[in-house]
Amino acid sequence: MKKKKNRKIAFEHEHVDASPVKSFFVHMLTRDIELEFAIFDLLDNCIDGILRSRIRNIAKKKPYHGFKAEINFKKDSFSIADNCGGIPWALHNYAFRMGRPKKHPEDTRGMVGVYGIGMKRAIFKMGKHCLISTQNGNQCYEVEITPKWISDEEKWSIPVRAAGKKMEEDGTTIVIGELHDGIRKRFSENPELLKSELNRMIARYYAFIIEKGFEVVINGDTVKPRPTRLIFQKTEKGKKPAIQPYIFKTKTADGVEIFLAVGFIRRIPSQDEIENEQEETKYSSLDAGWTVICNDRAVLYCDRSELTGWGEARVPRYHTQFIAISGIVEFKANDASKLPMTTTKRGIDASSILYLQIKNKMREGMRIFTDYTNKWKGKAAESKKQIECGKPYLFKDIKRETESLKFIKLTRSVPKGYQYKPTLPYPKQLMPNRRRISFVRHADDVKIVAEFLLGDVNADASEVGERCFDTILKEAKQ
Amino acid sequence: MKHPPYFLRPNKVVDRLMLIEAIKHLDKLYDDPTEYTYYGLGGPYLEDFRLIYDFCPGIKMVSIENNKDTIERQKFHFPCSIIRLKHMSFESFLARYSSNDKKSIFWLDYIDLEYDRFAEFESLLSRVSAGSMVKITLCAKPDNYFEDPEEFSKKFEAIMPDPWINPPRGEERFARLLQDMLRIVTQRALPAAMANIFQPVSSFRYSDGTPMLTLTGIICLRKNRIRTREAFHDWQFANLNWAKPRKIDVPILSTKERLYLQRKLPCRRDAGKKLLKRLGYLIDKDKKKTVAKLKQYATFHRYSPYFVRAIP
Repeated sequence: MKKKKNRKIAFEHEHVDASPVKSFFVHMLTRDIELEFAIFDLLDNCIDGILRSRIRNIAKKKPYHGFKAEINFKKDSFSIADNCGGIPWALHNYAFRMGRPKKHPEDTRGMVGVYGIGMKRAIFKMGKHCLISTQNGNQCYEVEITPKWISDEEKWSIPVRAAGKKMEEDGTTIVIGELHDGIRKRFSENPELLKSELNRMIARYYAFIIEKGFEVVINGDTVKPRPTRLIFQKTEKGKKPAIQPYIFKTKTADGVEIFLAVGFIRRIPSQDEIENEQEETKYSSLDAGWTVICNDRAVLYCDRSELTGWGEARVPRYHTQFIAISGIVEFKANDASKLPMTTTKRGIDASSILYLQIKNKMREGMRIFTDYTNKWKGKAAESKKQIECGKPYLFKDIKRETESLKFIKLTRSVPKGYQYKPTLPYPKQLMPNRRRISFVRHADDVKIVAEFLLGDVNADASEVGERCFDTILKEAKQ
Repeated sequence: MKHPPYFLRPNKVVDRLMLIEAIKHLDKLYDDPTEYTYYGLGGPYLEDFRLIYDFCPGIKMVSIENNKDTIERQKFHFPCSIIRLKHMSFESFLARYSSNDKKSIFWLDYIDLEYDRFAEFESLLSRVSAGSMVKITLCAKPDNYFEDPEEFSKKFEAIMPDPWINPPRGEERFARLLQDMLRIVTQRALPAAMANIFQPVSSFRYSDGTPMLTLTGIICLRKNRIRTREAFHDWQFANLNWAKPRKIDVPILSTKERLYLQRKLPCRRDAGKKLLKRLGYLIDKDKKKTVAKLKQYATFHRYSPYFVRAIP
């Protein structure tokens, strides 16, 4: 047998190729994001444009009034056009490069772009051809991404040309063509479904910013916001108990402002509602859970998992009986990299130390309301009276209304901050001689008895049961 | 269990016959009608089953009914011996249903409007085999939401075209909204990436006391969509593009009046006005309403039922 020769390689003079591959950005990164969230990335860019242009009036009630983004999708193209200030030429390296260069102009307060990938990923997600036209003052230019450029692994620069015509207002228009097959099919064969889903998601994820005046239009129809409203009962000084949210607010050393509020959004459910919700496919749970906002944009909406503290540290797992509980945590930072969000900006970085600290407070607040719900279980009607004493308030109004409340300064806990713990009304102890009766009967039979005793076939099963007992009790006593 | 006299509802009768017409068109697409099985929620009188047996005798039939007493009544009204009765809720039936690659015709004949109805429709669409026909009927009564319009979006926001708009108060627009919601459900059940698509073939709204919407469609392979549409192209009552539901509102006319008018039918233009001229008197509040009613009669006269006294 021949002996293999061991050739000596002079490793010290060799290099391995670690340069990026274009197809990774075009075909792989796009798999990490759903189409809807890719569109949200483009919307985020519009909003960052407003913040960058510093033309909004922060002091106003509606600082984003007059700014809008129009989304249009057809069977063969997608476009988003805004009047949000355009991309200044000074930022072209940031806007069009894959990733964020180190020497980047300082961020404007409130932006969410961190990684420099959102717009490009959204474009590659949808199609192979794109024309970006932008106008920022006198700077008016166009960048065209072509299928040829995408397939050329060597070429990384994209030619820029002066825009053909001037826009009425400063802004950016992105038109994507040569759609990928899956996207084209969704645009052409499921347009009603996509429009409805986008409408519903934007109404929730961008509720805070739309409430502040920003307008989003999808195929000609303006999206209406769907903000969460927490119930708050105004009381005279010191008067307790009352239905109010738990609040925690703080500002970290590196400049992240946090405001957390958790409370009730509706009355607690009756036993019948809980049972029906489990049996049927209803949607009353939709508004329950935690919403996390980073720089005015929701990155998590009504989450009911361990990610937001449900089922951890003595907080029960989410269950239909908790459909009345909802919380909002707002993070604000000049430097978006300090915010605890993922690269898609639609998720929480669960390992963020800041988020883990705040999650402690989220659980602390939540426990007050799960405890209340458990204590009033079976007495939904009595609890309803208390909850109806309060009014639903928008998050921004909760912030304003709670300013006058007596906050406790926490200096020894992590995180430090100011906390308001409401005193909720609790039921008097059940008398020892009281007993709960619970039984199950066929729904048709319940309807027969409901009609017979109450004259209403749709009466609550619990009401029917109570009337049965009261009727027989009366008879037995005679 | 109390049941309304389904067989005395003239517009519902027309709607049933529209289903028969749609089933007949399946001949143009598929060779063997006996391959189909009809699944229905026939109620105590099994009227739809009777019609299918009369007009399409080769189709196998399965009735799904949850109420024991109604089942007994169904047995009494059996129009033929080939109906199988399933004593279970439609939800339970759906959980056990498997198409086994065979074509089905389903009529989800609901009398109410609940989110679960849409969910059952959605679940069914993704499970029937290509070539199947599904018809769904829903209560389309807008005044149920006059007092609390937000209740509607709370219930149905997941499938509404614009989840934050209050439902319209008019019956026509309300029925249109429900149809748009059904359209979204079909797209959810059979998204673009899947081989099958729901192709609507007809949609009607009618009221025999309660406004109803009924939509019929075929689940076909996307690549066969044009062929499917062509099979229904010549059908006068086809709705192949999700256009607004056609109204069925046949007038109550005596047999004598009908026979008198029928000699003028069919007529292509101004049917209502021509029939009014022949009749010579109003049958509704004013001329406009009479013309509209007679136009309806002209459109559906072949399907409009005769209610006559019979000696058993």
